[in-house]
Amino acid sequence: MFKRNFRQDNAMAYTMLLPILALLTIFVIIPFVYSLYVSFYNWSFYQESTFVGFRNYYLVLTDDVFGKSVWIGLKFTLMVVPCTLILSFLFANIIKNIGPKMGSFVKTAIYIPTIISGIVASVIFVFIYDYTGGLANYLLGLFGVEPKAWLADVGSALPSIAAPAVWLGFGITSLIMLAGLYDIPESYYEAAELEGAGAFKKMWYITIPLMRNIVLYLLVTGFTANISQYELSLVMTGGGPLDATTTPNLYIFNHFRNDVMVGNSIAASLLLFVVLGAISAIIFRVLNSEKAVDG
Amino acid sequence: MQKRGSIQSGLLTIVGGLVAFVALFPLIWVVIAGFKGKTEVLATPFRFFPKQWLTENYAEILGDPLFSRAMLVTFGGAVLFAVLTLLINSSAAYVFARLEFRFKKILWVYVIMTMFVPAMSILLTSFIVVNKLGMLDTLAVLVLPGIASAGQMFFIRQFYLNIPLALEEAALIDGAGRFRIFTSIFIPMSFPVFVIVGIGAYLGYWNSFVWPTMTITNPDLTQIMQYLYNFRSERGSEMGLLMAGTGLAAAPTLILFLIFQRYIIKGIKISGLK
Repeated sequence: MFKRNFRQDNAMAYTMLLPILALLTIFVIIPFVYSLYVSFYNWSFYQESTFVGFRNYYLVLTDDVFGKSVWIGLKFTLMVVPCTLILSFLFANIIKNIGPKMGSFVKTAIYIPTIISGIVASVIFVFIYDYTGGLANYLLGLFGVEPKAWLADVGSALPSIAAPAVWLGFGITSLIMLAGLYDIPESYYEAAELEGAGAFKKMWYITIPLMRNIVLYLLVTGFTANISQYELSLVMTGGGPLDATTTPNLYIFNHFRNDVMVGNSIAASLLLFVVLGAISAIIFRVLNSEKAVDG
Repeated sequence: MQKRGSIQSGLLTIVGGLVAFVALFPLIWVVIAGFKGKTEVLATPFRFFPKQWLTENYAEILGDPLFSRAMLVTFGGAVLFAVLTLLINSSAAYVFARLEFRFKKILWVYVIMTMFVPAMSILLTSFIVVNKLGMLDTLAVLVLPGIASAGQMFFIRQFYLNIPLALEEAALIDGAGRFRIFTSIFIPMSFPVFVIVGIGAYLGYWNSFVWPTMTITNPDLTQIMQYLYNFRSERGSEMGLLMAGTGLAAAPTLILFLIFQRYIIKGIKISGLK
Protein backbone atom coordinates (compact mmCIF):
# COMPACT_ATOMS: atom_id res chain seq x y z
CA MET A 1 0.00 0.00 0.00
CA PHE A 2 1.11 3.48 -0.80
CA LYS A 3 0.90 6.39 1.52
CA ARG A 4 -1.15 8.27 -1.00
CA ASN A 5 -4.09 5.99 -0.41
CA PHE A 6 -4.32 7.17 3.16
CA ARG A 7 -3.91 10.84 2.48
CA GLN A 8 -6.95 12.92 3.12
CA ASP A 9 -8.45 14.55 0.06
CA ASN A 10 -10.52 17.17 1.82
CA ALA A 11 -10.71 19.69 -1.01
CA MET A 12 -11.64 17.16 -3.67
CA ALA A 13 -14.13 15.39 -1.43
CA TYR A 14 -15.96 18.57 -0.46
CA THR A 15 -16.08 19.82 -4.05
CA MET A 16 -17.61 16.60 -5.29
CA LEU A 17 -20.04 16.41 -2.38
CA LEU A 18 -21.16 20.01 -2.62
CA PRO A 19 -24.04 19.47 -5.09
CA ILE A 20 -25.66 16.61 -3.17
CA LEU A 21 -25.23 18.35 0.19
CA ALA A 22 -26.62 21.65 -1.07
CA LEU A 23 -29.63 20.08 -2.79
CA LEU A 24 -30.51 17.78 0.09
CA THR A 25 -30.23 20.66 2.53
CA ILE A 26 -32.47 22.96 0.51
CA PHE A 27 -35.08 20.44 -0.60
CA VAL A 28 -35.19 17.90 2.25
CA ILE A 29 -33.60 19.12 5.47
CA ILE A 30 -34.93 22.66 5.46
CA PRO A 31 -38.50 21.62 4.57
CA PHE A 32 -38.34 18.93 7.23
CA VAL A 33 -37.13 21.25 9.95
CA TYR A 34 -39.74 23.73 8.81
CA SER A 35 -42.43 21.03 9.08
CA LEU A 36 -41.31 20.26 12.61
CA TYR A 37 -41.57 23.94 13.46
CA VAL A 38 -44.98 24.37 11.86
CA SER A 39 -46.36 21.36 13.70
CA PHE A 40 -46.07 23.30 16.96
CA TYR A 41 -47.82 26.37 15.62
CA ASN A 42 -51.28 27.38 14.72
CA TRP A 43 -50.09 28.29 11.30
CA SER A 44 -51.85 29.49 8.17
CA PHE A 45 -51.10 31.10 4.86
CA TYR A 46 -53.01 34.20 5.73
CA GLN A 47 -52.30 35.19 9.30
CA GLU A 48 -49.70 35.48 12.02
CA SER A 49 -48.89 32.08 13.50
CA THR A 50 -49.09 31.36 17.19
CA PHE A 51 -47.25 28.76 19.25
CA VAL A 52 -49.59 26.04 20.45
CA GLY A 53 -47.20 23.35 21.72
CA PHE A 54 -48.42 19.81 21.24
CA ARG A 55 -52.00 20.87 20.57
CA ASN A 56 -51.82 19.92 16.87
CA TYR A 57 -50.63 16.44 17.79
CA TYR A 58 -53.34 16.15 20.38
CA LEU A 59 -55.99 17.20 17.85
CA VAL A 60 -54.74 14.70 15.30
CA LEU A 61 -54.64 11.82 17.74
CA THR A 62 -58.15 12.55 18.89
CA ASP A 63 -59.53 13.21 15.41
CA ASP A 64 -61.88 10.38 14.49
CA VAL A 65 -61.49 11.05 10.78
CA PHE A 66 -57.74 10.62 10.97
CA GLY A 67 -58.13 7.51 13.09
CA LYS A 68 -60.52 6.13 10.52
CA SER A 69 -58.09 6.90 7.70
CA VAL A 70 -55.32 5.00 9.51
CA TRP A 71 -57.68 2.07 9.89
CA ILE A 72 -58.52 2.26 6.17
CA GLY A 73 -54.83 2.43 5.32
CA LEU A 74 -54.23 -0.70 7.42
CA LYS A 75 -57.13 -2.54 5.80
CA PHE A 76 -55.85 -1.57 2.36
CA THR A 77 -52.35 -2.78 3.26
CA LEU A 78 -53.74 -6.04 4.63
CA MET A 79 -55.54 -6.62 1.34
CA VAL A 80 -52.58 -5.77 -0.88
CA VAL A 81 -49.46 -7.08 0.84
CA PRO A 82 -50.35 -10.71 1.68
CA CYS A 83 -52.06 -11.12 -1.67
CA THR A 84 -49.04 -9.77 -3.57
CA LEU A 85 -46.57 -11.86 -1.56
CA ILE A 86 -48.42 -15.14 -1.93
CA LEU A 87 -49.05 -14.69 -5.65
CA SER A 88 -45.46 -13.61 -6.20
CA PHE A 89 -44.03 -16.53 -4.27
CA LEU A 90 -46.04 -19.07 -6.22
CA PHE A 91 -45.31 -17.37 -9.47
CA ALA A 92 -41.56 -17.02 -8.84
CA ASN A 93 -41.45 -20.79 -8.33
CA ILE A 94 -43.22 -21.28 -11.65
CA ILE A 95 -40.86 -18.98 -13.56
CA LYS A 96 -37.88 -20.79 -12.08
CA ASN A 97 -39.11 -24.07 -13.53
CA ILE A 98 -40.02 -23.02 -17.06
CA GLY A 99 -37.64 -22.82 -19.99
CA PRO A 100 -35.26 -19.85 -20.24
CA LYS A 101 -36.88 -18.42 -23.40
CA MET A 102 -40.41 -18.44 -22.07
CA GLY A 103 -39.05 -17.44 -18.67
CA SER A 104 -37.50 -14.23 -19.93
CA PHE A 105 -40.66 -13.33 -21.85
CA VAL A 106 -42.76 -13.86 -18.74
CA LYS A 107 -40.35 -11.83 -16.60
CA THR A 108 -40.55 -8.89 -18.98
CA ALA A 109 -44.32 -9.12 -19.22
CA ILE A 110 -44.99 -9.13 -15.49
CA TYR A 111 -42.51 -6.33 -14.86
CA ILE A 112 -44.32 -3.96 -17.22
CA PRO A 113 -47.13 -3.01 -14.78
CA THR A 114 -44.45 -1.98 -12.26
CA ILE A 115 -43.12 0.75 -14.54
CA ILE A 116 -46.58 2.07 -15.35
CA SER A 117 -47.51 5.11 -13.31
CA GLY A 118 -50.19 5.16 -10.64
CA ILE A 119 -52.14 7.64 -12.75
CA VAL A 120 -52.16 5.43 -15.85
CA ALA A 121 -53.12 2.42 -13.73
CA SER A 122 -55.90 4.40 -12.07
CA VAL A 123 -57.35 5.54 -15.38
CA ILE A 124 -57.20 2.00 -16.78
CA PHE A 125 -58.94 0.55 -13.74
CA VAL A 126 -61.61 3.24 -13.75
CA PHE A 127 -62.48 1.98 -17.23
CA ILE A 128 -62.38 -1.61 -16.07
CA TYR A 129 -64.85 -0.78 -13.28
CA ASP A 130 -67.13 1.25 -15.55
CA TYR A 131 -70.73 0.37 -14.76
CA THR A 132 -72.08 -0.17 -18.24
CA GLY A 133 -69.16 -0.98 -20.53
CA GLY A 134 -66.42 -2.05 -18.13
CA LEU A 135 -64.62 -5.33 -18.17
CA ALA A 136 -65.36 -6.23 -14.54
CA ASN A 137 -69.12 -6.13 -14.95
CA TYR A 138 -68.87 -7.96 -18.27
CA LEU A 139 -67.02 -10.81 -16.55
CA LEU A 140 -69.63 -10.87 -13.76
CA GLY A 141 -72.31 -10.91 -16.43
CA LEU A 142 -70.84 -14.08 -17.92
CA PHE A 143 -71.70 -15.79 -14.65
CA GLY A 144 -75.12 -14.22 -14.58
CA VAL A 145 -74.29 -11.83 -11.73
CA GLU A 146 -75.84 -8.38 -11.65
CA PRO A 147 -73.47 -5.50 -12.50
CA LYS A 148 -71.92 -3.68 -9.56
CA ALA A 149 -71.01 -0.03 -9.04
CA TRP A 150 -67.52 -1.03 -7.93
CA LEU A 151 -66.10 2.32 -6.95
CA ALA A 152 -69.31 3.90 -5.71
CA ASP A 153 -70.24 1.21 -3.22
CA VAL A 154 -68.85 1.60 0.30
CA GLY A 155 -68.24 -2.14 0.60
CA SER A 156 -66.42 -2.71 -2.67
CA ALA A 157 -64.54 0.58 -3.16
CA LEU A 158 -61.48 -0.28 -1.09
CA PRO A 159 -60.93 -3.77 -2.56
CA SER A 160 -61.44 -2.25 -6.00
CA ILE A 161 -58.55 0.09 -5.31
CA ALA A 162 -56.45 -2.70 -3.83
CA ALA A 163 -56.62 -4.63 -7.13
CA PRO A 164 -54.59 -2.11 -9.17
CA ALA A 165 -52.13 -1.86 -6.26
CA VAL A 166 -51.53 -5.60 -6.49
CA TRP A 167 -51.25 -5.27 -10.25
CA LEU A 168 -48.62 -2.54 -9.89
CA GLY A 169 -46.52 -4.35 -7.27
CA PHE A 170 -46.82 -7.96 -8.30
CA GLY A 171 -44.12 -7.99 -11.01
CA ILE A 172 -41.25 -6.49 -9.09
CA THR A 173 -42.07 -8.59 -6.03
CA SER A 174 -42.00 -11.78 -8.11
CA LEU A 175 -38.66 -10.86 -9.63
CA ILE A 176 -37.12 -10.14 -6.23
CA MET A 177 -38.43 -13.49 -4.99
CA LEU A 178 -37.03 -15.15 -8.10
CA ALA A 179 -33.59 -13.66 -7.46
CA GLY A 180 -33.82 -15.13 -3.97
CA LEU A 181 -34.82 -18.54 -5.31
CA TYR A 182 -31.83 -18.59 -7.67
CA ASP A 183 -29.55 -17.96 -4.71
CA ILE A 184 -30.55 -21.20 -3.03
CA PRO A 185 -27.87 -23.72 -4.05
CA GLU A 186 -29.26 -26.49 -6.26
CA SER A 187 -27.26 -29.02 -4.21
CA TYR A 188 -29.63 -28.59 -1.26
CA TYR A 189 -32.51 -29.82 -3.39
CA GLU A 190 -30.43 -32.66 -4.82
CA ALA A 191 -29.47 -33.82 -1.36
CA ALA A 192 -33.11 -33.66 -0.28
CA GLU A 193 -34.14 -35.65 -3.33
CA LEU A 194 -31.63 -38.38 -2.46
CA GLU A 195 -33.25 -38.57 0.93
CA GLY A 196 -36.57 -39.04 -0.82
CA ALA A 197 -38.16 -35.65 -0.12
CA GLY A 198 -41.09 -34.68 -2.32
CA ALA A 199 -41.85 -31.29 -3.84
CA PHE A 200 -43.86 -30.17 -0.83
CA LYS A 201 -41.18 -31.16 1.70
CA LYS A 202 -38.49 -29.41 -0.34
CA MET A 203 -40.59 -26.26 -0.38
CA TRP A 204 -41.37 -26.44 3.34
CA TYR A 205 -37.92 -27.36 4.66
CA ILE A 206 -35.59 -25.66 2.16
CA THR A 207 -37.23 -22.92 0.10
CA ILE A 208 -39.37 -21.22 2.72
CA PRO A 209 -36.75 -21.05 5.51
CA LEU A 210 -34.07 -19.77 3.14
CA MET A 211 -36.39 -17.13 1.72
CA ARG A 212 -37.21 -15.75 5.15
CA ASN A 213 -35.07 -12.64 4.87
CA ILE A 214 -36.39 -11.71 1.46
CA VAL A 215 -39.97 -12.23 2.54
CA LEU A 216 -39.33 -10.11 5.61
CA TYR A 217 -37.82 -7.37 3.48
CA LEU A 218 -40.74 -7.44 1.04
CA LEU A 219 -43.22 -7.50 3.88
CA VAL A 220 -41.80 -4.38 5.46
CA THR A 221 -41.22 -2.42 2.23
CA GLY A 222 -44.66 -3.49 1.01
CA PHE A 223 -46.19 -2.31 4.26
CA THR A 224 -44.55 1.14 4.18
CA ALA A 225 -45.27 1.62 0.46
CA ASN A 226 -48.92 0.65 0.69
CA ILE A 227 -49.81 2.45 3.87
CA SER A 228 -48.51 5.62 2.18
CA GLN A 229 -50.52 4.99 -0.99
CA TYR A 230 -52.83 7.82 -1.99
CA GLU A 231 -52.52 8.38 -5.73
CA LEU A 232 -54.86 5.51 -6.56
CA SER A 233 -57.66 6.72 -4.33
CA LEU A 234 -57.07 10.35 -5.29
CA VAL A 235 -57.63 9.61 -8.97
CA MET A 236 -60.11 6.75 -8.80
CA THR A 237 -62.51 7.85 -6.06
CA GLY A 238 -61.19 11.06 -4.56
CA GLY A 239 -61.35 9.29 -1.19
CA GLY A 240 -65.05 8.46 -1.33
CA PRO A 241 -67.63 7.06 -1.09
CA LEU A 242 -68.13 8.33 2.48
CA ASP A 243 -64.35 8.43 3.02
CA ALA A 244 -64.19 4.67 2.50
CA THR A 245 -60.96 5.01 0.49
CA THR A 246 -59.38 7.94 2.34
CA THR A 247 -55.97 6.58 3.28
CA PRO A 248 -53.87 8.51 5.84
CA ASN A 249 -51.82 10.29 3.20
CA LEU A 250 -54.92 11.25 1.24
CA TYR A 251 -56.39 12.67 4.44
CA ILE A 252 -53.25 14.76 4.89
CA PHE A 253 -53.14 15.77 1.24
CA ASN A 254 -56.80 16.83 1.23
CA HIS A 255 -56.19 18.96 4.29
CA PHE A 256 -53.28 20.69 2.57
CA ARG A 257 -55.57 21.58 -0.28
CA ASN A 258 -58.66 22.59 1.62
CA ASP A 259 -57.74 23.91 5.02
CA VAL A 260 -56.63 27.29 6.07
CA MET A 261 -54.88 25.80 9.09
CA VAL A 262 -52.25 23.28 8.10
CA GLY A 263 -50.30 22.76 11.32
CA ASN A 264 -52.73 19.97 12.00
CA SER A 265 -52.09 17.93 8.89
CA ILE A 266 -48.37 18.49 9.12
CA ALA A 267 -48.49 17.10 12.63
CA ALA A 268 -50.34 14.09 11.23
CA SER A 269 -47.71 13.53 8.57
CA LEU A 270 -44.95 13.75 11.17
CA LEU A 271 -46.67 11.19 13.36
CA LEU A 272 -46.78 8.82 10.41
CA PHE A 273 -43.16 9.69 9.75
CA VAL A 274 -42.12 8.51 13.18
CA VAL A 275 -43.65 5.10 12.56
CA LEU A 276 -42.63 4.67 8.92
CA GLY A 277 -39.19 6.22 9.39
CA ALA A 278 -38.49 3.87 12.28
CA ILE A 279 -39.53 0.88 10.21
CA SER A 280 -37.38 1.80 7.23
CA ALA A 281 -34.43 2.65 9.47
CA ILE A 282 -34.63 -0.87 10.86
CA ILE A 283 -34.66 -2.46 7.40
CA PHE A 284 -31.79 -0.28 6.35
CA ARG A 285 -29.71 -1.35 9.33
CA VAL A 286 -30.40 -5.00 8.70
CA LEU A 287 -29.53 -4.81 5.01
CA ASN A 288 -26.53 -2.60 5.53
CA SER A 289 -24.98 -4.80 8.20
CA GLU A 290 -25.39 -7.88 6.01
CA LYS A 291 -23.56 -6.09 3.23
CA ALA A 292 -20.75 -5.13 5.56
CA VAL A 293 -20.22 -8.76 6.48
CA ASP A 294 -19.57 -9.92 2.94
CA GLY A 295 -18.01 -6.84 1.54
CA MET B 1 -40.75 -40.34 -15.32
CA GLN B 2 -39.39 -38.49 -18.34
CA LYS B 3 -42.89 -38.10 -19.67
CA ARG B 4 -44.30 -36.84 -16.40
CA GLY B 5 -41.57 -34.21 -16.26
CA SER B 6 -42.42 -32.87 -19.68
CA ILE B 7 -46.14 -32.73 -18.99
CA GLN B 8 -45.40 -30.87 -15.78
CA SER B 9 -43.13 -28.35 -17.47
CA GLY B 10 -45.65 -27.91 -20.26
CA LEU B 11 -48.33 -27.12 -17.69
CA LEU B 12 -46.05 -24.66 -15.92
CA THR B 13 -45.30 -22.94 -19.22
CA ILE B 14 -49.01 -22.54 -19.86
CA VAL B 15 -49.59 -21.12 -16.37
CA GLY B 16 -46.65 -18.75 -16.86
CA GLY B 17 -48.02 -17.57 -20.17
CA LEU B 18 -51.46 -17.06 -18.66
CA VAL B 19 -50.12 -14.94 -15.81
CA ALA B 20 -48.07 -12.88 -18.25
CA PHE B 21 -51.23 -12.38 -20.29
CA VAL B 22 -53.25 -11.33 -17.25
CA ALA B 23 -50.50 -8.91 -16.23
CA LEU B 24 -50.48 -7.25 -19.63
CA PHE B 25 -54.20 -7.47 -20.23
CA PRO B 26 -55.39 -4.16 -18.73
CA LEU B 27 -52.85 -2.27 -20.77
CA ILE B 28 -53.60 -4.15 -23.99
CA TRP B 29 -57.31 -3.63 -23.44
CA VAL B 30 -56.96 0.13 -23.14
CA VAL B 31 -54.70 0.37 -26.18
CA ILE B 32 -57.15 -1.66 -28.27
CA ALA B 33 -60.18 0.21 -26.94
CA GLY B 34 -58.48 3.40 -28.14
CA PHE B 35 -59.06 2.16 -31.69
CA LYS B 36 -62.82 2.08 -31.22
CA GLY B 37 -65.16 4.70 -32.59
CA LYS B 38 -66.25 7.46 -30.19
CA THR B 39 -69.67 6.03 -29.53
CA GLU B 40 -68.45 2.47 -29.25
CA VAL B 41 -66.06 2.94 -26.31
CA LEU B 42 -67.58 1.33 -23.21
CA ALA B 43 -70.83 0.73 -25.11
CA THR B 44 -73.00 -2.23 -24.21
CA PRO B 45 -72.94 -5.05 -25.06
CA PHE B 46 -69.29 -5.40 -24.20
CA ARG B 47 -66.92 -6.08 -27.09
CA PHE B 48 -63.21 -6.58 -26.71
CA PHE B 49 -62.20 -5.73 -30.27
CA PRO B 50 -63.57 -2.69 -32.10
CA LYS B 51 -66.22 -3.25 -34.77
CA GLN B 52 -64.04 -1.25 -37.01
CA TRP B 53 -60.45 -0.27 -36.34
CA LEU B 54 -60.40 3.51 -36.34
CA THR B 55 -57.46 5.75 -35.58
CA GLU B 56 -59.52 8.87 -34.91
CA ASN B 57 -58.91 8.85 -31.15
CA TYR B 58 -55.16 8.55 -31.54
CA ALA B 59 -55.09 11.13 -34.32
CA GLU B 60 -57.17 13.57 -32.32
CA ILE B 61 -55.20 13.30 -29.08
CA LEU B 62 -51.91 13.59 -30.94
CA GLY B 63 -53.35 16.60 -32.72
CA ASP B 64 -54.03 18.30 -29.39
CA PRO B 65 -51.07 20.67 -29.06
CA LEU B 66 -51.30 20.48 -25.25
CA PHE B 67 -50.93 16.72 -25.31
CA SER B 68 -48.00 16.53 -27.69
CA ARG B 69 -46.28 19.38 -25.88
CA ALA B 70 -46.80 17.67 -22.53
CA MET B 71 -45.25 14.49 -23.93
CA LEU B 72 -42.23 16.35 -25.33
CA VAL B 73 -41.66 18.59 -22.33
CA THR B 74 -41.97 15.67 -19.92
CA PHE B 75 -39.62 13.53 -21.99
CA GLY B 76 -36.99 16.29 -22.17
CA GLY B 77 -37.33 16.99 -18.46
CA ALA B 78 -37.09 13.30 -17.61
CA VAL B 79 -33.88 12.85 -19.62
CA LEU B 80 -32.32 15.92 -18.02
CA PHE B 81 -33.46 14.70 -14.62
CA ALA B 82 -31.89 11.27 -15.18
CA VAL B 83 -28.57 12.70 -16.38
CA LEU B 84 -28.27 15.10 -13.44
CA THR B 85 -29.27 12.35 -11.00
CA LEU B 86 -26.45 10.18 -12.29
CA LEU B 87 -23.86 12.97 -12.16
CA ILE B 88 -24.62 14.22 -8.67
CA ASN B 89 -25.19 10.89 -6.97
CA SER B 90 -22.35 9.01 -8.60
CA SER B 91 -19.77 11.62 -7.66
CA ALA B 92 -21.01 11.56 -4.07
CA ALA B 93 -21.04 7.76 -4.16
CA TYR B 94 -17.44 7.73 -5.33
CA VAL B 95 -16.35 10.14 -2.61
CA PHE B 96 -18.00 8.07 0.11
CA ALA B 97 -16.69 4.80 -1.33
CA ARG B 98 -13.06 5.79 -1.83
CA LEU B 99 -11.92 9.11 -0.39
CA GLU B 100 -10.86 9.86 3.16
CA PHE B 101 -11.70 13.32 4.51
CA ARG B 102 -12.61 15.13 7.67
CA PHE B 103 -16.19 14.80 8.91
CA LYS B 104 -16.80 11.83 6.57
CA LYS B 105 -18.92 9.99 9.16
CA ILE B 106 -21.01 13.02 10.01
CA LEU B 107 -21.65 13.91 6.37
CA TRP B 108 -22.55 10.28 5.62
CA VAL B 109 -25.13 10.23 8.38
CA TYR B 110 -26.43 13.63 7.27
CA VAL B 111 -27.00 12.36 3.72
CA ILE B 112 -28.43 8.97 4.69
CA MET B 113 -30.82 10.56 7.18
CA THR B 114 -32.70 12.18 4.30
CA MET B 115 -33.74 8.72 3.07
CA PHE B 116 -36.09 8.35 6.01
CA VAL B 117 -38.02 11.55 5.48
CA PRO B 118 -41.33 10.54 3.88
CA ALA B 119 -42.36 12.70 0.96
CA MET B 120 -45.71 13.56 2.49
CA SER B 121 -44.26 15.16 5.60
CA ILE B 122 -42.32 17.71 3.54
CA LEU B 123 -44.71 18.13 0.62
CA LEU B 124 -46.23 21.38 1.80
CA THR B 125 -43.08 22.91 3.27
CA SER B 126 -41.13 22.04 0.10
CA PHE B 127 -43.76 23.97 -1.78
CA ILE B 128 -43.20 26.95 0.51
CA VAL B 129 -39.42 26.70 -0.02
CA VAL B 130 -39.61 26.61 -3.82
CA ASN B 131 -42.14 29.40 -3.73
CA LYS B 132 -39.77 31.57 -1.66
CA LEU B 133 -36.98 30.77 -4.12
CA GLY B 134 -39.19 32.00 -6.97
CA MET B 135 -39.03 28.63 -8.70
CA LEU B 136 -42.75 28.06 -9.33
CA ASP B 137 -43.67 27.42 -12.95
CA THR B 138 -40.11 26.81 -14.08
CA LEU B 139 -38.33 23.68 -15.23
CA ALA B 140 -36.08 24.02 -12.17
CA VAL B 141 -38.92 23.26 -9.76
CA LEU B 142 -39.56 19.98 -11.54
CA VAL B 143 -35.92 18.92 -11.78
CA LEU B 144 -33.87 20.29 -8.89
CA PRO B 145 -35.77 19.07 -5.82
CA GLY B 146 -35.52 15.40 -6.77
CA ILE B 147 -32.11 14.84 -8.33
CA ALA B 148 -30.11 14.47 -5.13
CA SER B 149 -31.17 11.14 -3.70
CA ALA B 150 -29.54 9.35 -0.80
CA GLY B 151 -31.11 6.08 -1.91
CA GLN B 152 -29.67 6.25 -5.43
CA MET B 153 -26.32 7.43 -4.05
CA PHE B 154 -26.26 4.50 -1.64
CA PHE B 155 -27.07 2.07 -4.43
CA ILE B 156 -24.24 3.36 -6.64
CA ARG B 157 -21.84 3.32 -3.70
CA GLN B 158 -22.59 -0.36 -3.04
CA PHE B 159 -21.55 -1.00 -6.63
CA TYR B 160 -18.36 1.06 -6.29
CA LEU B 161 -17.36 -0.74 -3.09
CA ASN B 162 -17.19 -3.93 -5.15
CA ILE B 163 -14.76 -2.50 -7.71
CA PRO B 164 -11.31 -3.90 -6.81
CA LEU B 165 -8.85 -1.38 -5.36
CA ALA B 166 -6.08 -2.80 -7.54
CA LEU B 167 -7.60 -1.12 -10.59
CA GLU B 168 -6.98 2.38 -9.32
CA GLU B 169 -3.69 1.71 -7.53
CA ALA B 170 -1.87 1.54 -10.85
CA ALA B 171 -3.38 4.86 -11.85
CA LEU B 172 -2.46 6.39 -8.49
CA ILE B 173 1.17 5.34 -8.96
CA ASP B 174 1.11 6.97 -12.37
CA GLY B 175 0.10 10.14 -10.62
CA ALA B 176 -3.52 10.36 -11.74
CA GLY B 177 -5.68 12.53 -9.48
CA ARG B 178 -8.79 11.32 -7.70
CA PHE B 179 -11.06 13.09 -10.12
CA ARG B 180 -9.28 11.55 -13.13
CA ILE B 181 -9.71 8.13 -11.59
CA PHE B 182 -13.42 8.78 -11.12
CA THR B 183 -13.98 9.92 -14.70
CA SER B 184 -11.71 7.44 -16.47
CA ILE B 185 -12.07 4.29 -14.34
CA PHE B 186 -15.28 4.46 -12.34
CA ILE B 187 -17.69 6.09 -14.78
CA PRO B 188 -16.89 3.71 -17.67
CA MET B 189 -17.37 0.75 -15.34
CA SER B 190 -20.67 2.06 -14.05
CA PHE B 191 -22.76 1.23 -17.11
CA PRO B 192 -24.93 -1.49 -15.53
CA VAL B 193 -25.66 0.48 -12.38
CA PHE B 194 -26.18 3.71 -14.35
CA VAL B 195 -28.81 2.01 -16.49
CA ILE B 196 -30.78 1.00 -13.41
CA VAL B 197 -30.46 4.31 -11.59
CA GLY B 198 -31.00 6.32 -14.76
CA ILE B 199 -34.15 4.45 -15.73
CA GLY B 200 -35.40 4.65 -12.17
CA ALA B 201 -34.90 8.42 -12.17
CA TYR B 202 -36.47 8.75 -15.60
CA LEU B 203 -39.53 6.79 -14.45
CA GLY B 204 -39.83 8.77 -11.25
CA TYR B 205 -39.95 11.99 -13.25
CA TRP B 206 -42.20 10.72 -16.02
CA ASN B 207 -44.72 9.24 -13.59
CA SER B 208 -44.72 12.10 -11.10
CA PHE B 209 -48.02 13.81 -10.72
CA VAL B 210 -48.65 15.42 -7.36
CA TRP B 211 -45.61 17.70 -7.39
CA PRO B 212 -46.20 19.06 -10.93
CA THR B 213 -49.85 19.60 -10.07
CA MET B 214 -48.83 21.75 -7.12
CA THR B 215 -46.06 23.74 -8.76
CA ILE B 216 -46.92 24.10 -12.46
CA THR B 217 -49.78 26.14 -13.85
CA ASN B 218 -48.12 27.25 -17.08
CA PRO B 219 -49.61 25.16 -19.92
CA ASP B 220 -46.24 25.16 -21.71
CA LEU B 221 -44.75 23.16 -18.84
CA THR B 222 -47.69 20.86 -18.07
CA GLN B 223 -46.42 17.36 -17.40
CA ILE B 224 -47.97 14.33 -19.01
CA MET B 225 -49.48 12.74 -15.89
CA GLN B 226 -50.86 16.10 -14.91
CA TYR B 227 -52.39 16.37 -18.38
CA LEU B 228 -54.04 12.96 -18.05
CA TYR B 229 -55.43 13.80 -14.62
CA ASN B 230 -56.78 17.14 -15.80
CA PHE B 231 -58.22 15.51 -18.89
CA ARG B 232 -60.02 12.95 -16.75
CA SER B 233 -61.52 15.58 -14.48
CA GLU B 234 -62.41 18.09 -17.21
CA ARG B 235 -63.23 15.97 -20.26
CA GLY B 236 -63.90 12.63 -18.60
CA SER B 237 -66.78 11.87 -20.95
CA GLU B 238 -64.48 11.69 -23.97
CA MET B 239 -63.37 8.25 -23.03
CA GLY B 240 -61.96 7.17 -26.36
CA LEU B 241 -59.55 10.09 -26.28
CA LEU B 242 -58.61 9.41 -22.68
CA MET B 243 -57.90 5.77 -23.48
CA ALA B 244 -55.76 6.68 -26.47
CA GLY B 245 -53.91 9.28 -24.41
CA THR B 246 -53.34 6.84 -21.56
CA GLY B 247 -51.90 4.25 -23.93
CA LEU B 248 -49.64 6.81 -25.58
CA ALA B 249 -48.47 8.17 -22.22
CA ALA B 250 -47.29 4.69 -21.28
CA ALA B 251 -45.53 4.14 -24.62
CA PRO B 252 -42.17 5.95 -24.11
CA THR B 253 -41.69 4.16 -20.80
CA LEU B 254 -42.42 0.80 -22.39
CA ILE B 255 -40.02 1.38 -25.27
CA LEU B 256 -37.24 2.43 -22.92
CA PHE B 257 -37.90 -0.56 -20.72
CA LEU B 258 -37.85 -3.01 -23.63
CA ILE B 259 -34.48 -1.62 -24.79
CA PHE B 260 -32.87 -1.97 -21.37
CA GLN B 261 -34.88 -4.83 -19.87
CA ARG B 262 -31.90 -7.17 -19.67
CA TYR B 263 -30.00 -4.79 -17.39
CA ILE B 264 -33.02 -3.89 -15.33
CA ILE B 265 -34.00 -7.46 -14.56
CA LYS B 266 -30.40 -8.32 -13.76
CA GLY B 267 -30.28 -5.17 -11.65
CA ILE B 268 -32.86 -6.59 -9.29
CA LYS B 269 -30.23 -9.15 -8.38
CA ILE B 270 -27.52 -6.63 -7.59
CA SER B 271 -29.76 -4.16 -5.83
CA GLY B 272 -28.34 -5.22 -2.51
CA LEU B 273 -30.92 -7.93 -1.90
CA LYS B 274 -29.40 -11.29 -1.84
